[in-house]
Amino acid sequence: MSRPFLGFGLGLRTDHYTYIEEHQPDIDWFEILSENYMVPGGKPLAHLDRIRADYPMVMHGVSLSIGSTDPLDLDYLARLKTLAERVEPHWVSDHLCWTRVDHTNSHDLLPLPYNEAAIAHIAERIRQVQDYLGRQILIENLSSYVTYHASEMPEWEFLDEIARRADCLILLDINNIYVSAHNHHFDPVDYLDGMSPERVMQFHLAGHAQAGVMIIDTHDHPVCDPVWDLYAHALQRFGAVSTMIERDDDIPDFPELRAELAIAERIAGKILPAPALQTSHTALRGIA
Amino acid sequence: MDGLRELQQAFLGHLLGEGSPIVGAIESTADASVAERLSIYATGYRLRLKEALETDYPRLHAYLGDALFDRLSDAYIDRYRSHGTSLRGYSRHMGELLGELSPFSTLPVLGEIERIERAFNHSFDAADRPPPNPGLLERIPPATWPDMRPTLHPSVTLLPLRYNSFAIWQALANETLPPEPTDAPATWLIWRRGLVSRYRALPAHEAEVLHAICDGEPFGALCEHLLEHFAAEAVPREAALLLQSWLTEQVVATLDWEATPPSC
Repeated sequence: MSRPFLGFGLGLRTDHYTYIEEHQPDIDWFEILSENYMVPGGKPLAHLDRIRADYPMVMHGVSLSIGSTDPLDLDYLARLKTLAERVEPHWVSDHLCWTRVDHTNSHDLLPLPYNEAAIAHIAERIRQVQDYLGRQILIENLSSYVTYHASEMPEWEFLDEIARRADCLILLDINNIYVSAHNHHFDPVDYLDGMSPERVMQFHLAGHAQAGVMIIDTHDHPVCDPVWDLYAHALQRFGAVSTMIERDDDIPDFPELRAELAIAERIAGKILPAPALQTSHTALRGIA
Repeated sequence: MDGLRELQQAFLGHLLGEGSPIVGAIESTADASVAERLSIYATGYRLRLKEALETDYPRLHAYLGDALFDRLSDAYIDRYRSHGTSLRGYSRHMGELLGELSPFSTLPVLGEIERIERAFNHSFDAADRPPPNPGLLERIPPATWPDMRPTLHPSVTLLPLRYNSFAIWQALANETLPPEPTDAPATWLIWRRGLVSRYRALPAHEAEVLHAICDGEPFGALCEHLLEHFAAEAVPREAALLLQSWLTEQVVATLDWEATPPSC
């Protein structure tokens, strides 16, 4: 199969603005947190514009609340579309979750019951969002800490079926699979093997923290060895998929994070033939 | 609890600390009870909101210390939900709470520090405007001056303060011992020039004229305000000096005379 491949990227964080602008480091692309740039002006947008001039970008949001039973937030969608027109990202993603109900925002990525009613509800909303934005979006799997009695299927079947019905794409967070597998006692390899490969467009990698018997998705540690192993399995199953590391707390200097990303490049280099790892920025310009 | 909406309302109710039937909708496991699993979300909810308050008010936090700021934050989170898609703006009721909640309400300087921090937060990402053209003043047709209206940069906040709150804020920003609160009435200007937030205290005449600009008054009316501070023959020069300095500092973003019909 053929999918656009951006190569290896990092999340764009304010701590690194100056380093990136002064050194123009060798990195294939950046992922921005959409909400950080939904502001009228000032420094955030100035840095964004400068760095966008030199690097491909994708947009990643946390507030779409695609699984909510509140109506879609049209004001948010309008601001998302405006930002996408400014950034011209290769794609736009958000999470398979809900964040608010009754117009109260939890500011958390809250889990859904994995059942037919939720699939129908969410697939329809994704279609509406895609129609409004004029592009396919990517939906990402969560880390979760609860399972509902109302769930009728494993998470990977739920995600796969929503993507099929909504005709959207998938952002697979390898760390989230590991965290949820630990917390809910399933085999993370079953998750990867249960996903249809053709819609998987991006991988997230991140670190987590142990809290008692549970693992919490904190994004404040380096990627751990079991997650690198799972990443290797994902590459074997899905082929070359654009990969990035998310770091949101205890953020190290840029070169340290860049060195961590090089681990992903080395793993991919061992598993995939060199032609598969050719980035497709030029080809993507036609469809982004 | 069959429906998705009912489930989401129950989950949110749990996060808000309300009585909620969500426990009955969640599976327990041998290694972690439902309560333990749900507590990850409930704890995270309050932590995120508290972090948003700490981000918006670092100097107020430093002034109060951890224990009092925690007390203030807990009261804030109990009273105010977040309705926006972003945490930016969640703290906008802080001044109201500081004015009502004891013991904070007994120290009005706290409310002034809150306003200072809010003004800086606003200046950080307020809308951009291009720097005014250096030759702008020369382009204004002489007949249109009285009706010409300056427009302030969107980042501008005018802060009339009664106490020495700015000196306290500056000491906290420099991590030095803040002075005791004392009466020190002054109006402060906070704005962004380029990408850098700036501030300064305003002389009485400048504060009065900037307030008048906020109210939409034209240049002719602005000069009348200056008559209360300067001799009539000095007013045109003082007005021109003020206007030039505001354009240079990018406090004033535009001058609008196009909509004004020429006088005959």
